[in-house]
Order: sequence, then C-alpha cells, then structure tokens
Amino acid sequence: MRKFFNFFAVFIVMRVGVVGAGCSKFGQRDVTIQELAFEAVSEALKDAQLSQEDIEMSVVGCVGTRGYELMPAVVVNEYCGFAGKGPIRVEAACATGSAAVYTAYSSIKAGIADIAIAIGVEKMSEVDTATSAAIGGRAGNYLWEFHFYGTTFPAYYAMHATAHMAKFGTTEKQMALTAVKAHRNAAKNPKAHFQKEISVEDVLKSRMITYPLKLYDCSPIGDGASAVILASEKAVKEHGFDPVWFESVGYSSDTSNMSMREGYVGLKATRMAAEMAYKGAKITEPLNSFDLATVHDCFTIAEIMAYEDLGFCKKGEGGKFIENGESDFGGKIPVNTFGGLKAKGHPLAATGVAMVYEVFKQLREEAGNLQVDLKHYRALTHNVGGTGHFCWVFILGR
Amino acid sequence: MIVESRELRMKHRIPVVKTERFWKGLEEGKVFKTVCKCGKSYYPPRAECVCGATTEWAEVSGEGIVECFTVVHSIPAGYEWSKPYRIVIASFGDVRVMGWSNEELKVGDRVTLYTAKDESGVWKVWFKKV
Ligand SMILES: [Zn+2]
Repeated sequence: MRKFFNFFAVFIVMRVGVVGAGCSKFGQRDVTIQELAFEAVSEALKDAQLSQEDIEMSVVGCVGTRGYELMPAVVVNEYCGFAGKGPIRVEAACATGSAAVYTAYSSIKAGIADIAIAIGVEKMSEVDTATSAAIGGRAGNYLWEFHFYGTTFPAYYAMHATAHMAKFGTTEKQMALTAVKAHRNAAKNPKAHFQKEISVEDVLKSRMITYPLKLYDCSPIGDGASAVILASEKAVKEHGFDPVWFESVGYSSDTSNMSMREGYVGLKATRMAAEMAYKGAKITEPLNSFDLATVHDCFTIAEIMAYEDLGFCKKGEGGKFIENGESDFGGKIPVNTFGGLKAKGHPLAATGVAMVYEVFKQLREEAGNLQVDLKHYRALTHNVGGTGHFCWVFILGR
Repeated sequence: MIVESRELRMKHRIPVVKTERFWKGLEEGKVFKTVCKCGKSYYPPRAECVCGATTEWAEVSGEGIVECFTVVHSIPAGYEWSKPYRIVIASFGDVRVMGWSNEELKVGDRVTLYTAKDESGVWKVWFKKV
C-alpha cells in the first residue's frame, strides 16, 4: 500500500510561488554590499509579512569579482539575519540572479524547504572603469580570448551587432530606439540608475565604446540588490499568501569561447531556454501569451536579438519590431517597462532577481505609473549570462 | 566617507603544457587546431576530445570569411599600451578563429591569417584581406 502511495506522490506537482519581493535603488551607491543586500531583503520580508525565522533557506547570488569582498555570501547572509540558513552562493555571470532564483525554486521543488529567499547583490563601482572592463572581458574564456585579443564584454555584443547589421540591415538608429524606450520608462522608475529621457540623436552622438556600440547603447556600471521570497503551495495555503506562480522554467547555456559558436546573429542559449519554458507552460504563440516581458538588454543589440530569439518576431525583424512600437506600452508585448538593464541598471547578480521583482509587481498590479493592462495575467523574464553563456527564461502567472 | 582596501595584486601563472604546440606554433608563423578521429575539430585547440580520445594537431590555413568584428575604443586594464584595436572572427572550414587586424575588414570579406607579436610582446593571430 505504501509503495502504491509513493508511486502516485511522484505525480503530484507542487507549485512554487513568489510571495514577496524587494529591490534597492540601482546606481552608484555609497553602502557596503551587505547593507545594499539588506535594503532589498528587508523590503521583501515586509512585503511577504515574514521575518527571518520563517525563511528556511537562503541563496546568495553574487558575481563578486569587482567588490572588495571576494567571498561575500556569508557576509551578506549574516547581515541580513540568515546565519545558519544556507547560504548557497551561486554565480552565472550576468544571469547570476536567475541562477539564485532557480536554486531557491529547486530547493522547494525538492522538498528541502517550504520558504526560501533568493538574493542577488552586486557592487560594481568599487573599482575603476578600465579594471571593470578587464573583469567583464573575463566573462567568457580568458586564456583563449581576452588574453590574446582584449575581448571586453561590450566587444562580444558589438561583434553580434556587426553580424546582425550585415545580415539583416539592422541599423544603429534601430538599436538606439531600444535605449530611448528604456530611458523613457526608467524616468518614471524611482529605483532606476538613470531618470533622464534621451533622444535617438543623444545615442548616435555619444562616445564610441566598441564599434558599433556607443556609450548610450550600453548598460551602466552600477550597484544594486534585489530579493524574492519563494514558497511551496503548502506554505502559500498556511500563510494565506497572494502569490505569483512559476508556470515554467527554461534553462540553457553555450560555449565559453565565442569562436566556437554556430553564428553571431542571435543567442542559441536564449532559443533553447525559451523552447523549454514555452513547452513547460504549453505556450505556442509567445507574442500573444504575455502581458509583458523583461528581456536582457545589457546592450541595445541584445534587446533586438531577444525579440527574435524569444519568438516575438522572426529572425532579422527585431529592428522593425522596436521601430513599430510593438515592445512599448500599448504595443503587442511591452518589454522592459521598468527601464531595462540599459537605464534601470545592470548590477549583475541583482538583475535576474530584479526581473522577477518587476513582473511580480506588475502581475499584482502594484507597478504604479508603470503598470501595464493585464489580460493574460502572465509575464516572461529573460536573463542572459555573459554573451549567451547562460540563459534562464521564467514564465510567471497569477 | 570612504576607506581604501589593502592592495591585492594578481598575476596568474597559466600552465599551457597540453597546448604547447599551439603556443610554439604562433612563434613559427603557424596556427594550429586539433582534430579527432571521431570527426570533431577544435579551435581553440585541446589535447583531448570530449569523446575521450587524444586529438591530433593540424594547421589552419587557406582563406577564411569574416563573420563579425568590432573595434574596441574603451580600452580595458591590461591593454593600456594599445590604440583602439579591431577584433575579428573568421571561419576557416570546420573552425572559427579569432584574431586582430590592422585593416578595415567587413563581414563577408575573404581573409588569410598570419601570426605576429603585439606591442606587449604577445604572439597572436592576425588577419589580412585577400
Ligand atoms: Zn573525439
């Protein structure tokens, strides 16, 4: 009889929900990494009406290579009041935040915890820009690429931009439009790094960073933290939470060496992760299934490639997609309503967690003057590590 | 108020014993990939294939096609000595090779490769237009 019961237990799908979320102000922040993390953690605890005692597992996402704390997990964990619970420290370059969320999600799925917190925190402003560029260039394969050729992080995306421009006629102006949209949205977001609108001309005239990407094509170097509290269906019932559920999770990765990729007009990791997430949530028409999406726009070309790789438009039509306003408020799928990585900011590990924070707020209709109209009550997050070295796609619904 | 951390300097000793043929090859004007009898080719080269077999060294030669490029103006630490530099990835049959170029190469251009030292004394791959 017992054996019989266990057999069926395997098929009971326990859902995981987001029940609280917090996010610090992004930008140049004069606080330590632990103080920064606590801003997000205390907001998340308050949001869920929980205290530290209720949290069974903590996951700390931090790339950490630019801060003075090289092993920051315990420092952050202690300051936030979680000593003794975790911490599991995770790193997946710019997708570290999603790796942290995924780890917390997995611990609940595995039955290890009923309530877990995922923290993503990054201090990027403690070293100078040239040092930061040299560290970012190591988000690939140091020995075979940066060592010989000085492949900075913007350079990796710039190479995708030249390939995309050559193959599809994508223009610098189309790329600039994604930055203009990001700044327009961030101007309404008090937590954003930049709260200033810019024009296409501002982008096109800005200083060249790595051809064809100019200063305003690039996300800023800044600090930030975000935290989300995840709960099992059992804990949701016990506490009476109003959750946003994970409908599915997609993950993939690709080669560390850019020279080993199949091509440069998109990211295979995004396509694979999206395919997995869409299959899990039974989504066949990505453009008509979400009220909004957050996509990984670390550089303007990255957003254009994301539209295509996530299936919002055909490969090569990303430039037209932004030009036609399809990714703006009132378009077919509002993208990066919070200002994106480009203008809200991209403190590496904070980014993926903050994406979940943003869609959580939207799906609970708590996004204030950036609120989108909800029809599907479903949203997508897309977080890339490095240049398609890692990718997570989460589908959340309420 | 800001306090300065104690300085931490890091310069790593990287063992390239298993790929020494490649590193020596650059000094001889040759660029090596590795190939396996299972059909896989590797660039950058590696001494063992994921299938478990030992790979064999083979020269990359002939004409390649530029797949993508960029010109880095925002110079990272470690490259302070350099003026803006052009990074190119070109396909050579079954492998793609990264290199620098002093010429204004564009996507689709046909190129050949050669090796030379950069201003910091590091031997590397360079491309020139056919
Ligand atoms: Zn083999």
